Amino acid sequence: MLKSASGALANVLKRSLVPAARVTAVVPLRRSHGGPVESDEEFDSRYEAFFNRKDIDGWEIRKGMNDLCGMDLVPDPKIIKAALHACRRVNDYALAVRFIEACKDKCGPKVTEIYPYIIQEIKPTLTELGIETPEELGYDKPELALENVYEM
Amino acid sequence: MANYLMRRALLDAVRIPACARAVASSGVSELGKIGNREWVGYGFNGQPNYVDRAEFPLPAVRFRPETPDVKALREKEKGDWRKLTLEEKKALYRVSFCQTFAEFQAPTGEWKGVLGWGLFIASFSVWIYMAMKLFVYSPLPESLKEENQKAQLRRMLDLKVNPVDGLASKWDYENNRWK
Repeated sequence: MLKSASGALANVLKRSLVPAARVTAVVPLRRSHGGPVESDEEFDSRYEAFFNRKDIDGWEIRKGMNDLCGMDLVPDPKIIKAALHACRRVNDYALAVRFIEACKDKCGPKVTEIYPYIIQEIKPTLTELGIETPEELGYDKPELALENVYEM
Repeated sequence: MANYLMRRALLDAVRIPACARAVASSGVSELGKIGNREWVGYGFNGQPNYVDRAEFPLPAVRFRPETPDVKALREKEKGDWRKLTLEEKKALYRVSFCQTFAEFQAPTGEWKGVLGWGLFIASFSVWIYMAMKLFVYSPLPESLKEENQKAQLRRMLDLKVNPVDGLASKWDYENNRWK
């Protein structure tokens, strides 16, 4: 009797002290096992913020781009735009062209669908910074042949 | 005394820094190989090395060494990129990278040679068979000639081999022909 009464009292106290909104917020958002799952938007904005850092250097840009190329995804145009601006800040033109090439390679068999979309999205940035697409530089087809090192 | 010297020698061997050990074992360090190329990123094993790979597109060093004209070009790169000519942009790309994606992913046509040589070597088995036939194997036994085979079949029919559901069951003994 006493226990149920004290329990009821505690409930009443809790309700009066803790606002209802906070009580609902206590319900865990994530009921799955394993680590927290990052949404696509969070991923995109994380990488965009990484490339948008003012003090980023060439080493970090390369690290970020190489990481992106190692993942099972095609980078979002807004990540690519941020990366191109980062290349501009460290004055590395080749890096920018190489990253566009790498993103084209990441499109895989759907290159005819995804790549034109990427180019369409990043076109304003390209014209703003003066970056040519690999096609405009003639890099969509092999330009130079390399002698086989075993036959030199 | 000998024990002490041995210990000293072993400790000294262990104490050589890792980079120097790499030099000692391989003869040349990766850092020594790149000359005055700029080390710009993290490479394989953390070493300054250059490879064109699609899954690791930005190698650790620039491909070309820093010659005076490359330095001048890189100074110009610090300005507005829209003012660079197409040739300068292509030159800048080749300073940093050896081959474009299209170039290092271009088919080499090597499969044709591999297939050709494979078939050529496989055809030797036919020549070996023919040589065996000529020089090694004795002629086929007499019993494989057609008349001997026929005689053998006739003999089997005469003996009524397997009369229920086999050979003799298919032979019509009254009319002397197959059923």
